[in-house]
Amino acid sequence: MLLKLAWRNIWRNKRRSIIVLISIVVGLTAIVLTDGLSNGMIRQMLFNQVNLDISHLQIHKAGFNSNKVIKNFIPDYQHVESILKSNPEVAAYSKRVFATGILSSANNSSGVIIYGIDPEEEARVSIIKSSIVEGKYLSGSKREIIIGKKLAEKLGVDVGDKVVAMSNTLKGDIGSDAFRVAGIFQTANSEFDKMTVYIVAGAEQEMLNTGDNYHEFAVILKDYNNVTSIKSKLESALGSRYEVFTYKDLLPLFIFQMDLYKESMMILNIIIGLALIFGIVNTMLMSVFERIREFGVLMAIGMRNSKLYLMILFEAFMLGILGTLVGLVCGLLLDIPLAHSGINLSLFATGLESFGIGAIIYPVLSVGNLINAALFMPFVAVLGALYPAYKAIKLEPIYAINYV
Amino acid sequence: MEILKAERLVKIYQDNGVPVSALNNINLTVSKGEYVVIAGPSGSGKTTLLNLLGALDKPTEGRIYFEGEDITTKDKNELSKIRLHKLGFIFQAYNLIPVLTAIENIEFSMMLLGISDKERKEKALALMDELGIKELANKRPNEMSGGQQQRVAVARAIVNNPSVVLADEPTANLDSVTAGHLLDLMEQMNSEKNITFIFSSHDKNVIDRAKRLIILKDGRIDN
Ligand SMILES: Nc1ncnc2c1ncn2[C@@H]1O[C@H](COP(=O)(O)OP(=O)(O)O)[C@@H](O)[C@H]1O
Ligand SMILES: [Mg+2]
Repeated sequence: MLLKLAWRNIWRNKRRSIIVLISIVVGLTAIVLTDGLSNGMIRQMLFNQVNLDISHLQIHKAGFNSNKVIKNFIPDYQHVESILKSNPEVAAYSKRVFATGILSSANNSSGVIIYGIDPEEEARVSIIKSSIVEGKYLSGSKREIIIGKKLAEKLGVDVGDKVVAMSNTLKGDIGSDAFRVAGIFQTANSEFDKMTVYIVAGAEQEMLNTGDNYHEFAVILKDYNNVTSIKSKLESALGSRYEVFTYKDLLPLFIFQMDLYKESMMILNIIIGLALIFGIVNTMLMSVFERIREFGVLMAIGMRNSKLYLMILFEAFMLGILGTLVGLVCGLLLDIPLAHSGINLSLFATGLESFGIGAIIYPVLSVGNLINAALFMPFVAVLGALYPAYKAIKLEPIYAINYV
Repeated sequence: MEILKAERLVKIYQDNGVPVSALNNINLTVSKGEYVVIAGPSGSGKTTLLNLLGALDKPTEGRIYFEGEDITTKDKNELSKIRLHKLGFIFQAYNLIPVLTAIENIEFSMMLLGISDKERKEKALALMDELGIKELANKRPNEMSGGQQQRVAVARAIVNNPSVVLADEPTANLDSVTAGHLLDLMEQMNSEKNITFIFSSHDKNVIDRAKRLIILKDGRIDN
């Protein structure tokens, strides 16, 4: 009955309640939308990084990550490979050889990192094959190279043109080889495109004189959420000659940025919440002041202060719930189509690209975020009603009854 | 049996720092089943006295005993409990909850007592039937006349079987015919259910029908 009373009290001043409802709906819609967008952005940033070159897990010779020199190749890589092959949680892996060097064309030259890969393996762990925008991906021929679009522009080369790669060899002298540009790729990360080139592993091993050796296993898991536990399993299976890193270990700055980003989103939500609290305080105060006489009657017939207090909180709570229901529906109606089509941020994309974000953001809605958003408004509304309700119960019944 | 007893009641209001004496040395005893009218011109202290007897306000001096208990020393919550269990109130006007229907208004006092949904409905309907206002059950206050509202208010005031019903000028906003019906109703409840009524009025028709009359003048009992 108290609930019924509270519900009807809300609708006494329809216009006022509707204004509060609209502000709750707008606030919630904004929260759902920004949450979706920021989630989508974070996911995309992470996926772009992970799928470009980081992968979920990397295995090296112990010490390689802090000292990436040619001689730190993986000892007994067949051993590692057999362990990965027998692990059911591993979806794919790619063996890589690395060297830093210089790529030259007839016109220009540029510092690069040369990835030596098995084209088929690499295609299963990274997006490099699908990022080819001109020409073709590596066919397996030792004289082919693929390079980023930015680098191709800098060197002034096209598909079919000849380039020369140069690097230190294992012994410390200079090794070099000529390649023909088979394809040009473009990823969301223009920095990566400027300094990464791919050739077939065998060609690089010949150039560096490293024999049949690799520097890295890039591993993709069936479920990346298990990455930490799989890391420790692999560590104990491999022993101390090797090091295993997760993408979280490899992208500490990125993870930090993500946390920072999430926090700034939370602050935004708090600001929206505060604005709403003031709106609700104001509305509830008005509605309390309008009913002073009525509260006097309620007190006179023996309504306890605690019940009166509860009734006023219920009113705000119901406004919050109602606003939440409508707001969630509005937020989802906006978000779901956007999650399919994406939001085109190409206006700002030149800035975003160097962070590894594409021009189109696809909002991602998580159930957890939706639940948080759904709990947020009723909570905010009740918070906003605390003071007005306190004002109401501080009234003396005799004063209230005679109030005009 | 003595229900209410006021001893040497004094009430002095502060009106912007100026003391206004509203009641001056009131002694009064009301017994179970009495039907008391407090009469007197406007400003004589009727409302003030009823508020004190109804535990809505505290006297400046003096004591009020309700069923033998001193209520002048009790705190807000204890007083609200006494009002809920022992007292019924009828005000001059606007005293129903506007968003509730007649029957819900009557049920409201029972809800505060924690009576179950079903029992509330049955009791409210039975009482409305008895008072001849059953057809008003689903009407909101703004769909009822002043007289109808006051009848519903009577029902709400007596539904929890209070020891005393206090009414401050309940007929003041009614025409004389409607006022007469309301008085009939209260007299009927008084004689049938032995409910004690204390109400104020300066209406001659009401005063003529009083079983016991207390006349106030300048805050003193004048008879
Ligand atoms: N809250 C108040 N503050 C100051 N004076 C008051 C207040 N309430 C009543 N009075 C004064 O007390 C006297 C008695 O008033 P009241 O009890 O309302 O009389 P009645 O109900 O018989 O008209 C009047 O002089 C009135 O002006
Ligand atoms: Mg009066």
